[in-house]
Amino acid sequence: MDAFNNFLTGTVTLFSDPVGVLIFFGGVVGGMLFGAIPGVSMLTLAAILLPFTAHLSPEHGIMLFSVIYCTGVYGGAITAILFNIPGAPENAPTAFDGYPMTQNGEAGKAVGAAVMCSAIGGVASCIVMMAATAAIADWAISAFGPPEIFALVFFGLAVAASVGAKSFWKGWLSIMAGLMIAVVGLDPVGGLERYNFDMPYLAAGIHFIPTILGFFAVSEIFVQAEKKATGSYNAPKLSVAFPTFKELWQHKIAVVRSAIIGFFCGVLPGIGATLAAFMGYNEAVRWSKDKEGFGKGKMEGVISSETANNAATGAAMIPLLALGLPGGALTAMMVGVFQMHDMEPGPLVFLNSPDLVWVVFAAMFFANLSILLVGFLEAKTIVNLLRIPFQYLAPLILLLATVGAYAVRGLTIDVVVMFVAGVAGFFLRRSGYSVAGIVLGLILGKIGEQTFAQAMQMLHFEFSGFLNRPIALGLLIAGFITILASVYGAFFKKQPASTGTA
Amino acid sequence: MTVKKYLLNASVALAMSAMAGHAAAECATDSLPASMDGPGGYPERALTMIVPYGPAGGSGQVAQAMAEAVTGLTDVSINRDHKPGGSGTVGMTAYMAAPADGYTVLEHIDDAASAHALDSSKPNPAEDLIPLVTSQITFSQIYIRTEEDRFTDWASFVEWVKAQDGKATIANVSKEGSMERVTMKFITDATGMQIQQISFDKGAPRYGALAGGQVDALFEQPGDVRSFLDAGKFKPILTILKEAPDAFADVPDLVDAGLDFEPLLRFRGFYVNAGAPEDRVEWLKWAFQKAYCQEDYQAYNESKFMTLIDSYRDTDGSKDLITETIGQYRAVYKTMGLEVK
Repeated sequence: MDAFNNFLTGTVTLFSDPVGVLIFFGGVVGGMLFGAIPGVSMLTLAAILLPFTAHLSPEHGIMLFSVIYCTGVYGGAITAILFNIPGAPENAPTAFDGYPMTQNGEAGKAVGAAVMCSAIGGVASCIVMMAATAAIADWAISAFGPPEIFALVFFGLAVAASVGAKSFWKGWLSIMAGLMIAVVGLDPVGGLERYNFDMPYLAAGIHFIPTILGFFAVSEIFVQAEKKATGSYNAPKLSVAFPTFKELWQHKIAVVRSAIIGFFCGVLPGIGATLAAFMGYNEAVRWSKDKEGFGKGKMEGVISSETANNAATGAAMIPLLALGLPGGALTAMMVGVFQMHDMEPGPLVFLNSPDLVWVVFAAMFFANLSILLVGFLEAKTIVNLLRIPFQYLAPLILLLATVGAYAVRGLTIDVVVMFVAGVAGFFLRRSGYSVAGIVLGLILGKIGEQTFAQAMQMLHFEFSGFLNRPIALGLLIAGFITILASVYGAFFKKQPASTGTA
Repeated sequence: MTVKKYLLNASVALAMSAMAGHAAAECATDSLPASMDGPGGYPERALTMIVPYGPAGGSGQVAQAMAEAVTGLTDVSINRDHKPGGSGTVGMTAYMAAPADGYTVLEHIDDAASAHALDSSKPNPAEDLIPLVTSQITFSQIYIRTEEDRFTDWASFVEWVKAQDGKATIANVSKEGSMERVTMKFITDATGMQIQQISFDKGAPRYGALAGGQVDALFEQPGDVRSFLDAGKFKPILTILKEAPDAFADVPDLVDAGLDFEPLLRFRGFYVNAGAPEDRVEWLKWAFQKAYCQEDYQAYNESKFMTLIDSYRDTDGSKDLITETIGQYRAVYKTMGLEVK
């Protein structure tokens, strides 16, 4: 009851302050727009705004960033669906089925499903966040150490190997390619340079954002350009018909499952929304009776990914606010906002600044709700971008993707990486490999290697140490069972492990 | 919630408040002229500051605070260009490739000195660059959880670790040869402790590992774990200085603990290419050194526990600090068996 009263107080404080209301709506619209514009993201907006937050009150500064976080994660789904360009890594699985839906003339339904499920995932996680932040944060850091996170990554990779490729081997080879790319740069144990071929810029590793832009956006433009050149290009059919309530209700289990997965992944420091989205999607494939339909335009794919990544936003605020532990780039910037006001996120924030906490909680709740309203209005407008002829749209997307790749670190090599990934993706997709698998291998490979090294150090380099950690053991067993099941499916049931063409 | 009220919650913070008053009374560069004309109309456009780390970390924040202080003092804008990765290698490489015309400056930390100590082909911050100012110098501590009952202070910690036969753990950074790793080698050599260091690249998972009980102790600088100290979640059991500052007077320092080695310091500063025109360098030195004493910058340093020891070095002082640090690292790298190029 206290939480509800605090929420009401936060809501009144938020909406009784005209400046606060202005900042709230600015954050809602800004997050959606920057999330939706190909080549830039909510991180771009946050980086631009970071210095200016020094001139805002702490409440307004943190509230602005948390609102941008909620709506930016949703905004990235729009470009993933319409142009196969995930606005952020956490929107990548949304493109697996969202973009084929667009090609099938169901762009409106895909965007509508993303709007609805982003809001549901976000609101659900906000409610849990408001009810039990401190308790969940303490549980997460004590129950989940490096061995558990490594086991979770292993499980995620095992499931992902069966997603998107045309065969068992091509699925695993795709994952392995991603893992190989992940080892370029500094090793996570001794900080030694690996596979950088004496190129200092490669010491920073291959960043996943230019890789995603290359594999998804650039390769897609090449694919469409080839179709245009060979006369087989069909412009996507424009549709603004949103899904009916009945259609959405049919996926209620996927929504609940993805919300739980998203929340769980989001609450782990350093893991966050990306793994949440991939896990949400993978589990949807795993539990579906129509596995073959995924990757070809199945609404459940969009629903699972978008519910999970938005559910991770509220969850990611838990370790940030309760412990001062940011889960990703945007929450790390929020630490910067706190510090600019001589504050540190962490246990004392609840004690010393309850007003701030509850204004932020209320703002996140209403930001997720506003995705429903503003998101529908925005989606009705932005779907019309599909009217732009391909020959004008493609160079624009390439330009924005180039800017986006360069903007990550201000390095020309990231633009080169993007185009190399684009060309590689073009040929790999033709050959039935999964570019999604490569990207997932890259993202999870970095986390997995680091946590494996930490786990081995903690367990004194004895694998048997995993036996004493029930959660890690359970996840490892689940991963091995998944691999065995996919081997069985590939070699004994005489049917391809294919679930799509992403 | 005001900053003052926030600080009242911890005894350490109270000590800080007292020191802040002292710092406001006099500052290292008060004697520099209040204004200085740039040579020949320089700077005619905004400066660029390359920052080899992300915007949210310690380097990103000090870069922002200093850039704003310089701009407030001179009305010259500074664009920050973050180039993270490779423990500062990427930013340094990008900086050395930029024109040496005095329009591009660099923020860097002591990692640049240790990188040169290990591999002399990497730029020497005291020779290939001109330090404009070192504006943050801090020290490290060993932390345990406040609620810890297996050990409660440095002496009982050492005893407990020795009894674990190498199975005790401490969260630390990953980079071999870094200030943190070298200091831990000093400590383990001096005490005879065997302790497994767990490699964490980023701060948040490192602090979470101690808070969640995944590791037994943590190596860190006080400004980075201030929220945990203020909240009473962590407590320092060893200050890695020969004489502990007043704010940590009750925490054993190296002398108290009987550890005989020269402590390595974490420092952050601002540099310009040694090939930049001399008159422009002089103006930059004035701007950055004078900005150090700007009220906002001092307030920022206080909030980050950066006034507990003397955090300021001018150009010559910075060169001495860097050169001494490189010598210390070279000596210890040889004893560690690392290949010094």
